[in-house]
Amino acid sequence: MIVLDKNGEKLNLMPLNVGPSHPATHGCLRFMAAMDGETIVASVEEIGYLHRGFEKMVERGTWQQVVPYTDRLNYCSAIMNNIAYCRAVETMFGIELPERTKVLRVIVNELSRINDHFVCVAAAFQDLGGTTPFMYAFNPREEIMCIWEKLTGARLTNSFARIGGLYRDSYAGFEKDVLAALDSTEKALKDLHACLDRNRIFLDRTVGIGKISAEKAISYGWTGPCLRACGVASDLRKDEPYYDYETYDWEVVVGTQGDCNDRLQVRLAEIEESVKIVRQALKRLAPGPVDIVDPRIRVPAHKLAYQDMEGLIGRFKSVYEGIRVPEGEYYSGSECANGELGFTIISDGSGHPYRIKVRPPCLTQFAAFHELVEGGQLADSMAVLSGLNIIAGELDR
Amino acid sequence: MSVENIFSTLEEKFGAKRETLDKWGVTAVVSGAYLHNVVQFLKDSAEVKFDMLVDIAGIDYLTYPNHEGPRFAVSYSFKSIKTPGARIRLKVLVGEDCLKVPTITDLYANANWYEREVYDQFGIVFEGHPDLRRLLNHVEFVGHPLRKDYPAQKRQWLSTNDYLLPELEKRLETLGYKVIQRSKEVEPNDDEFLEGSVKA
Repeated sequence: MIVLDKNGEKLNLMPLNVGPSHPATHGCLRFMAAMDGETIVASVEEIGYLHRGFEKMVERGTWQQVVPYTDRLNYCSAIMNNIAYCRAVETMFGIELPERTKVLRVIVNELSRINDHFVCVAAAFQDLGGTTPFMYAFNPREEIMCIWEKLTGARLTNSFARIGGLYRDSYAGFEKDVLAALDSTEKALKDLHACLDRNRIFLDRTVGIGKISAEKAISYGWTGPCLRACGVASDLRKDEPYYDYETYDWEVVVGTQGDCNDRLQVRLAEIEESVKIVRQALKRLAPGPVDIVDPRIRVPAHKLAYQDMEGLIGRFKSVYEGIRVPEGEYYSGSECANGELGFTIISDGSGHPYRIKVRPPCLTQFAAFHELVEGGQLADSMAVLSGLNIIAGELDR
Repeated sequence: MSVENIFSTLEEKFGAKRETLDKWGVTAVVSGAYLHNVVQFLKDSAEVKFDMLVDIAGIDYLTYPNHEGPRFAVSYSFKSIKTPGARIRLKVLVGEDCLKVPTITDLYANANWYEREVYDQFGIVFEGHPDLRRLLNHVEFVGHPLRKDYPAQKRQWLSTNDYLLPELEKRLETLGYKVIQRSKEVEPNDDEFLEGSVKA
């Protein structure tokens, strides 16, 4: 297409389609760029290739049956989504969780965050052509995955949280495994920093690329590490604390430039903070129950179903009718690895959710994609894309 | 609490009503005619400035027990970055006979995609939206899947992805370029659609 620019100069632009099957778009994102040589002049995006109808499907099941669906939102940190959803419903019930559950949730939350950030940084490198950091980052990630296997029985889609508790208590030796994973996380961080911080190629590819101002990021509704990379110290764990996050000793990491390099470095620094939180949480982990005792909310244990009439009824009603969440409308946001994962929940007081709207953190970040890539080179758009950590599962739902 | 004060201001200035169903936060039901003014007020002149639009959700009350009033609602969630922890929700009720809500894309950049999503899933039209297309479903999709009368098992054959060239031209125009010769493939032709598909 031929266009006139602001000065009236003629330009011959080439429309270039990127994705959805480009390796760096992870199979689910597509954008069309108007190219002037190597430079992107304008870009428009299309999403929806992974749309599975999450919000329609959850209306068909019970409140507990939503949990496995939430796994499939951000599949890099599945447990975090379970917890965010359960927290929203628990707030509607007005449940006070047992101390051990809170601490365990903090531990698995932060381990998931470490996992998610490692995947993001590793994939960003892979997309820029560096394979070594991928190996560095995936060693501790594998250790955490092995913890998930022992703890939940699954590696990726864990479905660990339950409304009013957890699927089960931690196993014997959990603390030892977590400590070992933290040690190798710290070692990997050291390796990664040695590999990245003064790496000429990496810095050339990421510093000053995909810059966005704090005002614009807020207007686009950015949250999480991407917003913090712009220098805005906004973290729901500090702003609206839950699970006693305010009592742990940790810092909100902020960047300065709001460019691609900052977004990756903020993630690496957040891993350090998460390690701090998990170490403190492990010290608080005291024996105790993990589920609340209320057969109307948390299904009674198997043992009770065989011995006790009440337990049997509770189990039966919980499975067949679902728990009855109080009627009302509520928005709850939790700080997940990519930012604020929100659930707008409409309950009509029955055993099935009337409507659940997910607010995925990725959507707002990808909505600003054209602002980040316009004026840059085509190759930069890949660095920007992986730095945003777009997870198509939650983007398209 | 200052959010409560803001709600009373909304009540006085814009005739907002408290949504009693929201027992955990503050939700104001405002009329569509005032929506833009209310959002502008929340963003610029309220004592707590709600500078971030967190979410827009459509709601269909068709099968809601004992529901009276308009069938649809659009729920807006805002939060404040400057005053951490402050949140407010707005709700606009939309009747089936007039599925229209004014857009707030001029106030928040992310309202663009959120409004497209609500349009896609519920068929609610946002007046003044610069580019109201489907967001999650593809162009050929017929109907609005999150409406309660849309069967969840229903299948549709979708054969093509979005035709982004016209949007690309629009984007170039907003950036200050003037398209003088369009690309040859700018309009989709019949060959682009597979047999059996419903054309957009």
